[in-house]
Amino acid sequence: MTFLNAATNTNAYVVVHPLDDLVEEKRDPSCLGPMPMTLTVRLSLFTLRAYLILMTVLVAYHVVDLAGLLNVHKG
Amino acid sequence: MHRSNFKGSVIQIPDETALPRGWAVRSLWARNLLTFLMVFGPGLIVMEADNDAGAVSTYVQAGAQYGTHLLWILLVLLPMTYFVQEMVVRLGIATGQGHAAMIYQRFGSWWGRFSLFDLLLINFLTLVTEFAAIALALDKLGVNPRAGVPLSAVALMFLVGTGSYRRWERTVVALCLLDIGWIAIAVFIRTPAGEIIRNSIVPSVPEGGVTASLVFLVIAIVGTTIAPWQLFFQQSCVADKRLRFSDLNWARLDTLIGAIFTIVVAGCMMVVGSASKIHGIAFLDPAQMAVALRPFAGVGVQGAILLLMLNAAVLGTTAISLSSAWAYGEVRGWPHSLELPLHDAPGFYSVYFVCVAVAAAIVLIPRAPLQLIILSVQVLAGVMLPSAIIFLQLLLNDRVLLGDEFTNQNWNNWINWTIIIVFFVLSLILAVQVVAPKLLGQGG
Repeated sequence: MTFLNAATNTNAYVVVHPLDDLVEEKRDPSCLGPMPMTLTVRLSLFTLRAYLILMTVLVAYHVVDLAGLLNVHKG
Repeated sequence: MHRSNFKGSVIQIPDETALPRGWAVRSLWARNLLTFLMVFGPGLIVMEADNDAGAVSTYVQAGAQYGTHLLWILLVLLPMTYFVQEMVVRLGIATGQGHAAMIYQRFGSWWGRFSLFDLLLINFLTLVTEFAAIALALDKLGVNPRAGVPLSAVALMFLVGTGSYRRWERTVVALCLLDIGWIAIAVFIRTPAGEIIRNSIVPSVPEGGVTASLVFLVIAIVGTTIAPWQLFFQQSCVADKRLRFSDLNWARLDTLIGAIFTIVVAGCMMVVGSASKIHGIAFLDPAQMAVALRPFAGVGVQGAILLLMLNAAVLGTTAISLSSAWAYGEVRGWPHSLELPLHDAPGFYSVYFVCVAVAAAIVLIPRAPLQLIILSVQVLAGVMLPSAIIFLQLLLNDRVLLGDEFTNQNWNNWINWTIIIVFFVLSLILAVQVVAPKLLGQGG
């Protein structure tokens, strides 16, 4: 196994560590702006909002319960 | 042209041009192996770090209560955890950016802030539980936690602060491989292999039938096996390592190996826990279990379990803190790479250091509300996981951004939506159980 420059003219395969390799041009979302609101995206975000509201209500219920305001604690 | 330094069979040639340097090999087989070894790391780390202190506690508890009866659940979770993380790998390689940055850019600042705040909060609370486990294990090992916990925190800071991604990765991969110790302990305690294989393959219900506590333990196992920070961590890790498009299949293999290794280790934790059921041992945490097993398994097993518990917490801490630091750095636009020295990425390293230092300090406060913190982690995970996976799924269907090459196929979507629905339902049941147990008839 030999440590070589990737451009070295050789019959061997040259394997480069990703951190040593030239930087690739990636898919860049910064110029695209927000995602288009298709039906799937809209529906997913709506479901997520509903789920988060439900979770918030549950936590509020727990806080009220712990405070004894529901008057259901035993002992 | 080239001056060569011979080191055994390796010829090192100085970098005389701007072109990348690499290792030359003669066979295709060697090229594939070497490429895989260079890509290997993020997949194993993200999976094995998820076997953190909380996971050790959950799995040994499952073993202690139900023996090896719940092993089959881990086998079911194997493809689920792989499919979710494979999507993360694809997104990370395609964009070279972290998950938090993607949510900000594609879903707007509200969802971006929500995801980031939730991630930072749940990560921080989880860190406190990791340090609580470190304190417990050190205490049982005869080390004063007041000295051991700050020392662990300093070591964890030193681990990332060397300015070399590769150094961090090699160290953490070595720590991951130490978890082979769980397999050795499981073999040592001599649980019948036939029973383990049968309960791993054939779904069975433990004696006593389907009870509420069994259902919630199953949900806890699912929640432990797939955590929200993993999505953010692996995508940032892949981006920091600058994995290339051509590395995708190797990164998938890395993730698959990580998933299999993690599930095997988790199963061994359950088998170790089952030993306490056989010997009629009751315990509150794995450290207590280790001490109680000593008369039956020996001092070596006690020490090994305590050290592995420590290792699990250390792995969890570095991965979770890094997922916070990467996410915050991405969103703030700060330099955020383990390749950068401390003075070039002060914000990124500060987030990591502050998270570790404050979590360690909280554990040392007498009568800190650890139970409340564990409960909060469970609730927040219930909020965070479904939302993080939904964003992941939507991003992987973003054809404008990813093109056909990286976008989900139809079969991907069917599997992923099924996983999302299962997670939604399980997370909701767990959150209801934790927050309002009376609604499910668990309170009293």
